[in-house]
Amino acid sequence: MARSILERYGGFPFLSRVVMSFYDRALDSDVLAPFFEDVDMRRLIDHQTKFVAFLMGGPASYTNDHLGHVHAHLKIDRESFDVMVGTMQETLEDFDMDEADVVTVVHELRSRAPWIINVPGPEAAVAS
Amino acid sequence: MDLDRFNRLLLESAGVGLALADPETLAIAFANPRFSEWFPGCDEAERRLDELLTGLNVERMRARLTDGKAYRTDLELKVNRRSVTLAVDVKRHEADDTDLLVVECQNITKLRELEYMVESYSKMVERQNRDLRKEKDRVEKLLLNIMPRSVYEEWKEFGVTAPQRFDQAGVLMLDFVSSTEMDIASDPPALVAELNDVFTSFDRIVEQFGGERLKTIGDAYMAVCGVPEPGGDDARNVARIALRMVRYLQRRNAAQATQWVCRIGINAGPVVGSIIGVQKYVYDIFGPGVGLAARMEALSGPMEITLAEDLYELIRDDVIVVERGEVEIKGFGSKRVYTLEGMSDLDDRQLMR
Repeated sequence: MARSILERYGGFPFLSRVVMSFYDRALDSDVLAPFFEDVDMRRLIDHQTKFVAFLMGGPASYTNDHLGHVHAHLKIDRESFDVMVGTMQETLEDFDMDEADVVTVVHELRSRAPWIINVPGPEAAVAS
Repeated sequence: MDLDRFNRLLLESAGVGLALADPETLAIAFANPRFSEWFPGCDEAERRLDELLTGLNVERMRARLTDGKAYRTDLELKVNRRSVTLAVDVKRHEADDTDLLVVECQNITKLRELEYMVESYSKMVERQNRDLRKEKDRVEKLLLNIMPRSVYEEWKEFGVTAPQRFDQAGVLMLDFVSSTEMDIASDPPALVAELNDVFTSFDRIVEQFGGERLKTIGDAYMAVCGVPEPGGDDARNVARIALRMVRYLQRRNAAQATQWVCRIGINAGPVVGSIIGVQKYVYDIFGPGVGLAARMEALSGPMEITLAEDLYELIRDDVIVVERGEVEIKGFGSKRVYTLEGMSDLDDRQLMR
């Protein structure tokens, strides 16, 4: 069986550095920080650890329903989502992840957009 | 640089939040910049420690300090949108003419985050392990359906199993005389349910006498005793199993509409047991011990159990048989053949009548 991205980069030690760094970057971002303001840190870290592990083929399984559920109380539009994806991409690049692996993880993350974005953005408005 | 300036610089740039407070009133007398950053308003006049550090257990703090110990606690606060966890350490400093509380705050946010992450990750791994164990149990259960446990253990450990020879395995072959005549078109699910029921009862009988159901082919049923572990009484047990199967069917037929009429051949002889196949594998046995049992089954009439002299000689003192004379058996030459009627065990004596 092929080894997952997470396994290839060393498992938990790598994951923890990525999650921690992503979390820091998100809190430094004017777009993203407000989303994290009133969230219990323990729950947030739990979610991020599991979700990022899942994106890298780790031991978690994360259903789309669950993803929709944890983001339901936030008003996330396309723009914020894109900033979040960009931040994740930067984080992975700064940890010297291979380009192909970054693409895989970012693609995996993007494919979850329908369950994370819950406010119609400009695109949707134009389309309707 | 003089020592005073150096000390002040150190105090101002330190990553640790430091404050001094009055031991009685808890009024803050001094706070370094880091402390002010975490607790804005601390330099206002007469601000008390317990006002600013919400979450501080004043009663406990006083108790610890009275005992001459330090008071330690963790505080969570928000600093510029960020959740920050501080480890707070309060000590009483009494020397010369000073009596002060020294409050030291260290930022342990990263440590706490990492703790949460470890907790989250280990739960994930535990859950995955549980799922894997469950899956393994399921697979094991399936594999134990197609091979005996000892063979499975060997296969699990070494990845292969060596074929094994058994000199005197008890073999039982059974099939149904009338099932092909049954109207399977009228109610297939009912027929399958009945067959299932019958085979499950057979399994129980076989197990009771230390045997194993080897396989079923359609409505034919094959069981062995002494494979893969010779049991010492395998020849007698295979006869006991046969008699009980017939008795079970007789009782069932008396109570049910569908009549299941079997014929059984039993034998004890040399067989080889092995896992056969690579992708689709199954544990099976071969050899003259099996061949003769199959021939005996073919010689049986409805609800009859047939055995040849090979098995009879092994258990003659314990069985009640009717001799049917010499019969030419394909591949085995001429052999004396018997119908098994019962066993001299009290329990089995009246079995067939």
